[in-house]
Amino acid sequence: MVHILGVQLFENHAVKHALTNFYGINRLTASRLCARLQIHDTCRVRSLTATQITSIAAFLSSPATSPIPPRGPLASPSFTPHPPTTPFGQLPGARAYLAQVDAPPPPLPQPRTKGLDPLRWLRIETDLKREMRENIAHQRMIGSYVGKRHAMGLPVRGQNTQTNAKTARKLNRIERHR
Amino acid sequence: MPVAQLKHDIFQNGRLDELVLPEFNPEDLTEDNSGKAMAFPLPENDVVRVFGLPRNILLDFRILSKAVSVVRDVTIKLVDRLQAASQESSQKNRLVLAGSAGCGKSFLLVQGVEYAAAAGWLVMYIPRAASLVNSSTMYTYDLRTRTYLQPIFAQQTLQRFRTVNESLLGSLTLEGGIELGDGVLIDIGLKEQTSAPAVLSALLEALGKQTKAPVLLAVDDFQTLFAKSAYKSPHFQTLRAWHLSMPRLILDYVSGQKTFARGAVVGALSASNKTYGLSQDVRHALGLQPWLQPSPYVKVPAEVSAFTKGIQIMKVPEKMNVGEAASLFEVWNKNKSFHTPANDELFLAKYAESGGNPRDFVWKGLLSTLQT
Repeated sequence: MVHILGVQLFENHAVKHALTNFYGINRLTASRLCARLQIHDTCRVRSLTATQITSIAAFLSSPATSPIPPRGPLASPSFTPHPPTTPFGQLPGARAYLAQVDAPPPPLPQPRTKGLDPLRWLRIETDLKREMRENIAHQRMIGSYVGKRHAMGLPVRGQNTQTNAKTARKLNRIERHR
Repeated sequence: MPVAQLKHDIFQNGRLDELVLPEFNPEDLTEDNSGKAMAFPLPENDVVRVFGLPRNILLDFRILSKAVSVVRDVTIKLVDRLQAASQESSQKNRLVLAGSAGCGKSFLLVQGVEYAAAAGWLVMYIPRAASLVNSSTMYTYDLRTRTYLQPIFAQQTLQRFRTVNESLLGSLTLEGGIELGDGVLIDIGLKEQTSAPAVLSALLEALGKQTKAPVLLAVDDFQTLFAKSAYKSPHFQTLRAWHLSMPRLILDYVSGQKTFARGAVVGALSASNKTYGLSQDVRHALGLQPWLQPSPYVKVPAEVSAFTKGIQIMKVPEKMNVGEAASLFEVWNKNKSFHTPANDELFLAKYAESGGNPRDFVWKGLLSTLQT
């Protein structure tokens, strides 16, 4: 059993599936995360090395400030690599990899721009729940219709209340997602 | 009475006696023996035992009590081709086996591989190239080669290559004084996973320079080497097969950019894999079905043209001739696989229904018939 940031991941599960146990990570985000960390699709949690587990934990603890990996160039058909004895620093494009270690992560563009890496805006667990609570509290504070419906415990998005609305009556409140 | 003394026919349970068939030897692969069924002798370090087999052939060999194949006219043709290639550079001997679904391309490749191993070639056989691109093995970006290395697969391939070719490797000396007999180069790759791809590449280059033994690089599921892989870059871009180290290594030899001084590169297309099927651009680049031009809306990558330049196609006939089909029929009959009395009527009916296609003849004809 592997624990990452308080969430239990079962050893025989594929990593791509196990990451969805985090609140706020769906299957697509889990795939993106595995691609970011170069974990293949059929990798099981028990096959993860300590370095990989640390990198998952480091990323998820603060996705916004995680360094963005450089875009490694891909070989063309006629490309001939340097000999294996070449020092890493002398390879073309090595500067981007060496600079990554010390460089601070770039600031998040505001507002969020479509097409940029969604992992930079990833929030999970308590951070996500807090954001959702704040959104609802903001709606109440400004006195909007959405805020009033949350306060009354009724459907917010125009559903019928003459019948049904059981889920809204059960779950909708200001202090939702505690 | 004890069971062992019950000798009357009524007590025999129809247990199969082991198939007795001639052995598959290079010396016996002549035109006179065309149409005969031969069993592969499978020693402990046999190529297909160590490297594995395509799924459909594995199934056939599990059901039959022995690993049997029928020597066809096209087998003799491939063997003659390999004999000529053993004296020439692999630059001139880059072959792809093509044909319709179920016509026997994978079986032909297995026969070629077994022939080469028995005839003193160094053989590297990749039976399921789809496993290189379906995201089932570890991958990591390497700046030096600008590809994504697959260290575990490279390490496994090194181990298997050494097991299969141990006796030949022991007698070779590489340039630079790295004795393969001591196993120095391969040992490095086997001990450190991270260096396995570089060692495999260096090993093949070194073997390509020596002229003592010809080298055969055989790949089944050849079309997956040009496919979009299931791997993603850290920025979630889909990687093409040639961005991965193992397919790229094979493609370097397929395209002739790297060569063996003596040897050949043989690939077999496969229609069994629906996820990684033969795409329009690869079909056009290889010159198959030239009357079907690719759609103008399909983008043909320049890499596909670059890697397929100079490849020769060997067409596997769609139809077995009657003699070959008869041998196949006898093999399955001796294996007691039919629930129908085996007679000429059954044979001709199923041969006609399947149109001579080997897979359809056996699986859809003989084994699936409800005729009694």
